[in-house]
Amino acid sequence: MSDLDKAIAQLRACRPIPEAQVRELCYKARELLIEEGNVVGVDAPVTICGDIHGQFHDLMELFRVGGDVPDTNYLFMGDFVDRGFYSLESFLLLLCLKVRYPDRITLIRGNHESRQITTVYGFYDECLRKYGSANVWRYCCDVFDYLALGALVTGASTKLEATGAGFAESYPQNSMPADDLDIEIEILNSNGDIMNRFPRSQPQAPSTPKPEPSSSPILGTPARTGPAGTGASGSSSGSLSNDGGAVLCVHGGLSPLIDTVDKIRLLDRKQEVPHEGAMCDLLWSDPDEIDGWGLSPRGAGFLFGADIVKHFNHKNDISLIARAHQLVMEGFKEMFDSTIVTVWSAPNYCYRCGNVAAILELGEDGSNGGYVARSNGDAGRKAEREPRGAPGRRYRVFEAAPQDSRGMPAKKPVADYFL
Amino acid sequence: MSTPQLPNLLDSLGTGRGRGRRRGRGRGGLGENHEDNQEKKDRVVQKTDEDASVSRMSAVEMGYLDDPFARAFIYDPPIPRRYPIINRGTYVRTAAIDTLVNKFLAADRGAQKQIISLGAGSDTRYFRIISKDPTVKLVYHELDFPTNVAQKISAIQHTPSLLAVIRSTLSTPSDLQITAHALTSPTYNIHPLDLRTLAIDPSTSAPPPLPTLPHLSTGAPTLLLSECCLIYLSPHDADSILATLATSLIPPSTPLALILYEPIRPHDPFGRVMISNLAARGIHLQTLQKYSSLSRQRARLRSAGFVDGQAAADVDFIWGRWVGEAEKERVAGLEMLDELEEWVLLARHYCVAWGWRDGVGEGGGLFGTAWEGVVGQEGNDEGEGID
Repeated sequence: MSDLDKAIAQLRACRPIPEAQVRELCYKARELLIEEGNVVGVDAPVTICGDIHGQFHDLMELFRVGGDVPDTNYLFMGDFVDRGFYSLESFLLLLCLKVRYPDRITLIRGNHESRQITTVYGFYDECLRKYGSANVWRYCCDVFDYLALGALVTGASTKLEATGAGFAESYPQNSMPADDLDIEIEILNSNGDIMNRFPRSQPQAPSTPKPEPSSSPILGTPARTGPAGTGASGSSSGSLSNDGGAVLCVHGGLSPLIDTVDKIRLLDRKQEVPHEGAMCDLLWSDPDEIDGWGLSPRGAGFLFGADIVKHFNHKNDISLIARAHQLVMEGFKEMFDSTIVTVWSAPNYCYRCGNVAAILELGEDGSNGGYVARSNGDAGRKAEREPRGAPGRRYRVFEAAPQDSRGMPAKKPVADYFL
Repeated sequence: MSTPQLPNLLDSLGTGRGRGRRRGRGRGGLGENHEDNQEKKDRVVQKTDEDASVSRMSAVEMGYLDDPFARAFIYDPPIPRRYPIINRGTYVRTAAIDTLVNKFLAADRGAQKQIISLGAGSDTRYFRIISKDPTVKLVYHELDFPTNVAQKISAIQHTPSLLAVIRSTLSTPSDLQITAHALTSPTYNIHPLDLRTLAIDPSTSAPPPLPTLPHLSTGAPTLLLSECCLIYLSPHDADSILATLATSLIPPSTPLALILYEPIRPHDPFGRVMISNLAARGIHLQTLQKYSSLSRQRARLRSAGFVDGQAAADVDFIWGRWVGEAEKERVAGLEMLDELEEWVLLARHYCVAWGWRDGVGEGGGLFGTAWEGVVGQEGNDEGEGID
């Protein structure tokens, strides 16, 4: 067993590795990350994950639900550290996996992967507590500076391959779609049972408001299926390709300074997260029900509306933006006619919020002999492209790992309240 | 989530200071085991004050609150740092109650007023009020467990600036009487009193005698404060204590108001986790199910006799509507809040509720006038958050 495999085994047991080994690991990780562009290219199939925040036991639950590395190809959208008790073990495990299986796991930067934020929100204190010095924190922060700012997933299929899953008891019986229906969205619980399904509907008039799907089995289902007989696959304007288009993954969102994916590629990312500017916005911004751009109440980044997302996606030949950054009680939330989705992967956030978590699986489009068309935001290509639907999306929803699960140390967390 | 230094309330159970003092304070008719259990439970409630004063100190240190007296009541330094979300919550809680209290004191300014703070613990409000305006005509009473009172009095005795504030209100210095167990004066009083001794069933044929509270005014317009206090008592006790205060200790003819600060909305996922997390620390929010919403808090105030006005607002609403734009900008600029959804979630689970009765005779409309224009949250939220 190599040292790296030993480190992985030790971290999986939620035990920190020695300082010297952290130093070596961070050095290797930096060598690897320095070769990645600001926007990493990722081929489907891939499982996209949101914030982890040092909730190590829940990260193990995520791997149980989503499959282990390297069997499953993962993309983590940042915020590995802070708030939870095990930021160190969580981040180092992900980093070890990255060094061990560089092509099977992608890590991009969140707003918490920053020196300034980690000194306020716990990671710094945790390193000091576990090692007696800030060295490990420094090594990790040096790695943060090299993390990519985004990822572009290509080759995702519009079709969801069947998992052979059964239906959960909570599944709304009256809306169970026929088996041959083209399913656009499927929501599975942590046992792999189907909680809900949303068939792909025909393009609707822009004025028709569509309910946004969420993991709640009550919301949305009947209206989304549309009138009887209209739920078949296909589009009125011709046959759809199976290519689900490119999915841009970024921790926060868009920036008024960035109108093309190529502009992200041009940024100098190897630095502490700045207080303003394009790099800051990508890690801090949030979508909101507004027109255009708005000031963010967070004090960093911007709010951006549906028009901004639709214009950006159209211009860059992107079918969906996947982002994290905001707590969603249901684990994920699609907005703006499913042009953007928030994925949140820290269940019962801060051991206090009572939310469930989700991960997003995108399948592989095998219909083109495995050939993946490059879709990197080149302007002018959209005129030629064939009609295409958004990628099929399978959400796996899961709850917090039970305390003391799998024999791992689990300090009883103390959440703050007002007493 | 807490910083590592957060005092674990369970760790301190049944150990350390205060043990000997509580001997002989037995409550008649109860077996010894029951008594021990009850004392343990009380100890947990008593320690909630420490948690609150640490939160206050953290908010002061970060510039949220201006409170030069907070440090005197930190019994166990060093002071752990609280997360920004907790600092902001502590700020809103303090600012909201300050707003209501200051408006009460400013109304009919020459008239004598009275404040009775239930489970006051190490609260600094009296000192903050007097240091800003030593001429205010106010008699202030704090009621709490003897253990908490003894700790507070000891801190006051060791802090000249606190003694100076109290003395600044007295024309005769000897009017201030301090023992290890109680502090009395015509303006400031700390009474060692287990509030449950006020939980007297009015239907009892021979009710036990009421405790005497020195310097209690029965005629001055009076404001009762319960900041996370009554919620730790059984619904029966909490209601009876209010009834005793509002009828026996303060006669119905006297204008009287109550301000509550409490958690609400126990039925949604956040509320359920809150109940179980606090229960794991031995803290039981006993009236939370009964007074679970703003609507229920208003109804509670009405049926407790505060018939002339009732209002309530959650902390999220208060932050949005009561705090001025410039002040909001100042506070938001102190620390970066990383997660706004979490703030809204937390803030929607705490409320301030206030209600009043006019009494009879002069000064009748005082509370209505004082709190005119303080916006409550309208509408029925009874069903909110119930799955």
